[in-house]
Amino acid sequence: MRISTNTLYQAGISKISSLQADQAKLQQQISTGKRIGAPSDDPVAAARALEVSYAQGVNSKFTDTRKTATTKLSTLESNLTGITNLLVSTQSTLVGAGNGTYSDKERANIATELSGSLQALIGMANTQDASGNYLYAGFNTATKPFTATATGATYAGDSNQQLLQVDAQRQMAVSVSGDNVFQAGGNDVFASLSNLVTLLNTPITNAASQAAFTSGLATAMTSLQGSVDNVLNVRASIGSKLNEIDGLNTTGSARDLQFSKSLSDLQDTDYASALSDLSKNQTIMDAAQKSFVAVTGLSLFKYM
Amino acid sequence: MASNILSIGQSALAAAQAGISTTGNNIANASTPGYSRQVIVQTAAQSQNFGYGYVGQGTQVSAVTRVYSDILAKQAVNSQSVSAGINTYSTQLSGIDNMLSDAAAGLNPAMSDFFAGIQNLSASPSDIPTRQTALSNAQSLVNRFQSTNDTLNQMRDGVNTQLTSSVALVNSYAKQIAGLNDSIDKAISATGNQPNDLLDQRDQLVLELSKQVKTTVVAQNQGGYNIFVGNGLPLVVGTDTYALSTAPSPTDASRLEVAYQSNNKTTVLGSDSLPGGAIGGLLQFRTDSLDPIQNQVGQIAVVLASTFNTQHEQGLDLNGKPGGALFNIPAPAVSSSSNNTGTAVVSSQIVDARAITSSDYRLQYDGANYKITRLSDKTVQSFTSLPQTVDGLSFSQASGTMNAGDEFVIRPTQNAATLISLAITDVNKLAVGGPALSSTANAANTGSSSISALTAGSTYASSPLASAIGLTYNSALPATFTLAPNSQPVTVTSGGTSTTFAAGTPITYTSGATISVGGLSFVISGTPANGDKFTITPNSTNGPGNNTNGLLLAGLQSQGTVNNSKMSYSSAFGQLVNTVGNKARELKVTGAAEAKVLDMATAAVQSESGVNLDEEATNLMRYQQAYQAAGKMMQIASQLFSVLLTLGG
Repeated sequence: MRISTNTLYQAGISKISSLQADQAKLQQQISTGKRIGAPSDDPVAAARALEVSYAQGVNSKFTDTRKTATTKLSTLESNLTGITNLLVSTQSTLVGAGNGTYSDKERANIATELSGSLQALIGMANTQDASGNYLYAGFNTATKPFTATATGATYAGDSNQQLLQVDAQRQMAVSVSGDNVFQAGGNDVFASLSNLVTLLNTPITNAASQAAFTSGLATAMTSLQGSVDNVLNVRASIGSKLNEIDGLNTTGSARDLQFSKSLSDLQDTDYASALSDLSKNQTIMDAAQKSFVAVTGLSLFKYM
Repeated sequence: MASNILSIGQSALAAAQAGISTTGNNIANASTPGYSRQVIVQTAAQSQNFGYGYVGQGTQVSAVTRVYSDILAKQAVNSQSVSAGINTYSTQLSGIDNMLSDAAAGLNPAMSDFFAGIQNLSASPSDIPTRQTALSNAQSLVNRFQSTNDTLNQMRDGVNTQLTSSVALVNSYAKQIAGLNDSIDKAISATGNQPNDLLDQRDQLVLELSKQVKTTVVAQNQGGYNIFVGNGLPLVVGTDTYALSTAPSPTDASRLEVAYQSNNKTTVLGSDSLPGGAIGGLLQFRTDSLDPIQNQVGQIAVVLASTFNTQHEQGLDLNGKPGGALFNIPAPAVSSSSNNTGTAVVSSQIVDARAITSSDYRLQYDGANYKITRLSDKTVQSFTSLPQTVDGLSFSQASGTMNAGDEFVIRPTQNAATLISLAITDVNKLAVGGPALSSTANAANTGSSSISALTAGSTYASSPLASAIGLTYNSALPATFTLAPNSQPVTVTSGGTSTTFAAGTPITYTSGATISVGGLSFVISGTPANGDKFTITPNSTNGPGNNTNGLLLAGLQSQGTVNNSKMSYSSAFGQLVNTVGNKARELKVTGAAEAKVLDMATAAVQSESGVNLDEEATNLMRYQQAYQAAGKMMQIASQLFSVLLTLGG
């Protein structure tokens, strides 16, 4: 085939410039660590990488939400521990109250102590979290849930529990409403304590009042025990939720790791092959340049 | 005799001289674009009979011709326009390809942040800074949609500009080719010889023209070129030219189309009648990539905003009021053709965002039927009346009269991404609590029927229920429900048919029918017993810790919503990126293949017509030697003459 001088130059230049383009591409892959510069480099992997990184973002958002849930549940847990301790110590105080040798005066002293416990309990039931929201108010977090009355306390909250999306398929209640903690199952702890105070303040004058005291004390003790059991139940459910969150955190971070690995597989540069390609490319480029100079250097005019 | 020898030598000398200057000209033009190498055509001069035989009378140069192959040139021209078309398309699309690859500029990060803000709201529903962040993230999402669409609109403007300059180039080439047709014709008539350089110039212009538009050359007998562009539009006929121009599309004034001028008439050409070349590439890019991509971005914006609004309307804000719209969503753009003769104004609304497609629609009236065409796949539906609902869009005639042949184009999503905006600025109005409405069946009901959850419509927030509504069933035929209070009309929709009952009238009961009253709707189904009662209660107290609707809003992120609830927002965007990537890749690959074909076609032309300097060097030496030999011969002739003179002396 007859080759024109133009073709000779054109072919040399176009080969060298296509090698240069390849080199620039490899160089970009090596310096950025990313195999995919634009979706057209690998449309399937690019779209997949987009979805994976989005899913990773969603997953890590659930991790954040679980931190919030843990904080909320732990606050509840520690507050309920205090409440349990208060109630248990009240119970042990009451063990002595039935003692038949106690005078009215001694029972009145116990009543004063119980009345203090009742105030303390109402205080604890009105605990606020760091942002000033009441813990035991249901959705009415801005309103003080419990107000002391002559016969115990009234509840101003509602029975709702705040749910949080702690994982893709899991909504978890992270609050408990006050009525469910303190006034559940017919055992109103405030009323029980208030009744006890009244009972202990009532002097025993005869067998009838003695009998009324004994039976009243027994009823109140049973009711108080019911309340303690209920608080312990609530604590147990919070404990199991905290456990569940731990479990979700473990699977969450495993998933995160998996997403990172998928992303890396999809879009990261394979350095071994990229560097080897670059070195191969350089060798070819070297040869192309040398042969171009050699071929274009030949001219009959040199010999005329 | 001797004088005869002298003139033979002289003819050889002249031929060698012509050869040397032709060779010199080839060397001088070795790198001139479009230059075809020239050779002299040398023939023996008429020989003379001397009785004993014919004696040669030397040589003569009968022509200087260019080495040129019609077929090879045609291949190069064809290949040039195909290659230029793909290159233009590819260059344009790579702009979008690069934009989408930018992690910071894509839609996903903004969507991700937006939903993170909503999720944070669920954890602290009444915290004002958290609400502010959620609202700011919503604004950032709107901004991201807008900037993405703005970039696409800039590309649209770019296409307009480039079309205008390409059309100007085509017209200029057409004039030059017609001029050369004239000059070449005159040169041939005057001298009978081919004007090689003019021919080269004209062929080079044809090649340049083919970079702008698909070009077909039909050579005439007397040497003129007739040029046809696209699918056979005459551009140059002899010395006459026709012009291309740009004109606004009849249904979109901001969109320039290529038009053809003949007999003082301007005809707008469809985008597929001008394949190939830069013009073909630009039109193809706009129709096949830019339009659908921009529509898809708009579709994601509309679906996200609309589904979010619908859920937001079910909740209660911090003031205990039903939530309104969070986003303002633009109505579909309707443009009537500039060729319409009627006065009709068509209006279109998004009825069901989940059902909308990314396509544009054409509404045509033929005097009897309304034809609605989905332009993406040319699916046609025909109706005898308006309004109609197709693909989640309503089409209705707002005013005026429609004449046969009138045409409207409806673009539901093209600029939606630019036009959406935030509807609220007050952080208290984020409706994270809720629900705004609740329904209950009376505990004493004896029948087996149930009431669905209530759905607040988009108008509910502006005029919420003031008090609960009770519905009491009356089994006396026809079975009805009586509302109390009954101050509002009620619409019952069953099987696509709606019946409106005036305020105060009992409503006929159909199991499973949708009952709408006061901007809200619900469904009662089953068999109620006489006297059974349901209650619809508006909730107006919203505890600050209430995050019920917040959880539902956040849940939209992973739900199927787009394209009839088949895809989530982010997977719809992923699909868009995939489509763009695939097309860009396909164009790169075919572009590279076409470039190879063009290289080969060019090399073939060069192989035939290009100058090879070594070859010219050889020719130079050959003609130099011929010249020297002729000179020597003349010297001998002169010596012969001297011998004769000596003999005479």
